[in-house]
Amino acid sequence: MNGQSDAMSEQKSPRSSTPGLGWEEFSRELVEFFASIKLAMFLFLFIAITATIGTVIQQNERPESYIQEYGESTYRWFLRLGFIDVYHTWWFTSLLGLLCINSLTCFYKRFPGVWRSMQQDRVSVSLDFVKGMKQQAEVSIARSKEVVAQELAQHFIEKGYKVLAKNEPREVTLYATKGVLGRVGAHMAHLSATVIIVGGLIGTYYGFQDFGVCLEGQTYHIPRGNFDLKVDKFWIDYHENGSVKSYNSTLTVIDGGQSVVTKTISVNDPLVYKGIWFYQSSYGDSWEQIEVARINIKDKETDRILRTVDLEWRREQAVPELDLKLSMTDFVADFAFNSTEKKVFSKTVEHANPAIRLAVNERRAVQSTPWIFAQFPDLFDIKESKYQFELVGYTPKKYTGLQIAKNPGINIVWTGSTMIVVGITLSSFIFHRRIWMKILPTPEGVTVYIGGTTHKSQIDFQREFRKLTEKLQRLSASPSRISGA
Amino acid sequence: MVRSLFLFDMTFWLYLAALTLYIAYLFARRPIMTLAPAGHSAGNFDERDGAWAMQLGQTATLITVFGWIVNTGALFMRAFERMQTSGTFAPWSNQFEAMAYVSWAIILGYVLLELRYKIKAIGAFVVGIGFIAMGAASLLPYRYQTAEPLVPALNSYWIYIHVSITLTSYAAFAMAGGLGVMYLFKERAERRGSTSRFYAAFPDLETIDELGYKAITIGFPLLAFGIILGAMWANYAWGGYWSWDPKETWSLIVWLIYGAYIHARMTRGWEGHRAAIYAVFGFLMVIFCFWGVNFLLSGLHAYA
Repeated sequence: MNGQSDAMSEQKSPRSSTPGLGWEEFSRELVEFFASIKLAMFLFLFIAITATIGTVIQQNERPESYIQEYGESTYRWFLRLGFIDVYHTWWFTSLLGLLCINSLTCFYKRFPGVWRSMQQDRVSVSLDFVKGMKQQAEVSIARSKEVVAQELAQHFIEKGYKVLAKNEPREVTLYATKGVLGRVGAHMAHLSATVIIVGGLIGTYYGFQDFGVCLEGQTYHIPRGNFDLKVDKFWIDYHENGSVKSYNSTLTVIDGGQSVVTKTISVNDPLVYKGIWFYQSSYGDSWEQIEVARINIKDKETDRILRTVDLEWRREQAVPELDLKLSMTDFVADFAFNSTEKKVFSKTVEHANPAIRLAVNERRAVQSTPWIFAQFPDLFDIKESKYQFELVGYTPKKYTGLQIAKNPGINIVWTGSTMIVVGITLSSFIFHRRIWMKILPTPEGVTVYIGGTTHKSQIDFQREFRKLTEKLQRLSASPSRISGA
Repeated sequence: MVRSLFLFDMTFWLYLAALTLYIAYLFARRPIMTLAPAGHSAGNFDERDGAWAMQLGQTATLITVFGWIVNTGALFMRAFERMQTSGTFAPWSNQFEAMAYVSWAIILGYVLLELRYKIKAIGAFVVGIGFIAMGAASLLPYRYQTAEPLVPALNSYWIYIHVSITLTSYAAFAMAGGLGVMYLFKERAERRGSTSRFYAAFPDLETIDELGYKAITIGFPLLAFGIILGAMWANYAWGGYWSWDPKETWSLIVWLIYGAYIHARMTRGWEGHRAAIYAVFGFLMVIFCFWGVNFLLSGLHAYA
């Protein structure tokens, strides 16, 4: 449908008839190939097909889970083809690159024509050219050619067309055009592909994404921004039915020893400082710290509970009646021991085997730091002590999960996004319409030959065209002949 | 909750009635060249017959418009109920509401199309898809139909614009799909030289084709806008504008599929038959993106 206008410009530059492998011939072929709609269609569909792979096969999982699900030989193929991280493979990136080349070449090849047609268009055309248009009509009117030309020009100007006329002794040629912006829009969309991809690349190479598990009251150093971040507070809001409404952290940025910004962030409302964004990403129970632990102090001999104390994190508490001083110094959610480093650590983030380390000071004589297990109360025994300690419960400490990201390419991506939306919208709703009219004097008056073309929305154009010819018929007193439409 | 569900239910029955009437309208229409039975003049017969069809058609349109108004009322009612249970009101916050909104948009699109082009035969196909969307929504289990409070990630003003725009583009593609099916029906009848009165009210092939193309040129920029709004939202909520999440990727795939279509229309040979098949195929992909991804693939969009 677009053919007519393109065909026209091609007629103007006929291909050289001498076959050869000259550079010019070659480069023309190359431009032809890379600007072709066929390549665009192929790329669109091929990218679409290959993009499905990553939605069916889970991406970036651990090798074991692939082997378990697909078997080892299939996994080896996945590795070879990059199916476990499709969107970052060399071949997928190349496809996107080709799409950029495709749209840029198309811009290079076709935009100059659009530009010219914005500046100045061809008025003089042959009668055969007008008759050969997809939409064409012929009306005889018993008026002078100047009057008819005036009338037609008026009609098109009222409809928002740009009208050019050429008055010659034996004929008047009128040219009316509208909506070239639709084509400009298409090219804007073509350029946007490259803009978005460039923005994306800048983001990948110069940006970063980190995840931080942060606890209330702590200060963390952000090396990439060279400032500190203090987590003042974390809390969760609930709906009436008990489901989570939002979770929030109050953060303070400390730059150069001074508090600069304080903001409460929640999901959908990040903090931005020096181009680094802090998102409220998740929350959970810390695996290295708790708020309060409840301890039962039992008499070893009678096995009777003497006292129950609630210990706060790393705060010593005295029990004068028993001549005891207790404090909780450490916590792990899933107890494990690294025998080479002689260190206790949490095997997972799950609270599967929680344990606290107690610092006991009894009668100012017995000093001990045993690990007390919630699930195995009898595991550790302090021989010299009169008491046994049991961990009966604890309040976990919530951590706030912060996503920390910087993306210097983001504004380029948004620019490209705006271009693509504006561009496609223009090209979808504004149609480039071009109508040529030749008014030839006849013995009874004039005959008007009208021919028009549009690259989109044929029925609307047809309707507009029909209205025009009807108007012309009303104008004429003489019987008229209509063809086409 | 109950009031909006009642209205949604009513919408469903009204759309069913409208669809039945549109199909009846197609069967009622007769080709102009009918042999007049003895004793009747041909002129009279045609006139009476045409009047019958016209009345059917007008009733169908009226019921459709009424159904659409009820649909609008149901969405408003749901928005009101949401406002009471949680702070947001977007009546497209879960699968059920999204389906109801899509059918609302399809029917609105159809009514506008009928107003502008005065072709009622399309109703049998496009209202049909609107009805199926509404029907599929009401088939969802009850717990999917109620207005549960939103999870924190969805609790944002982005939901108003991102979701509605994307769903409107789906509605446009649905219309194109319906027109594609209609084209294939009509084309088959023409190829067989069928004189069945069923096809007499159909517009000519070129018009169906062109209208389908039009629907896609409306859906295409809307989907682009919807995807980009989604990217902006993701940038606020997830900390990255694009994470190749299955829903994201599938909406991009759908967009690319229609992008290929838009480009194909520029070359010869991609109107008519091929375009109709392609539009139907594209619509199937939209359905997968809308339903399949939610139920078959896991990802960040799992809640919607």
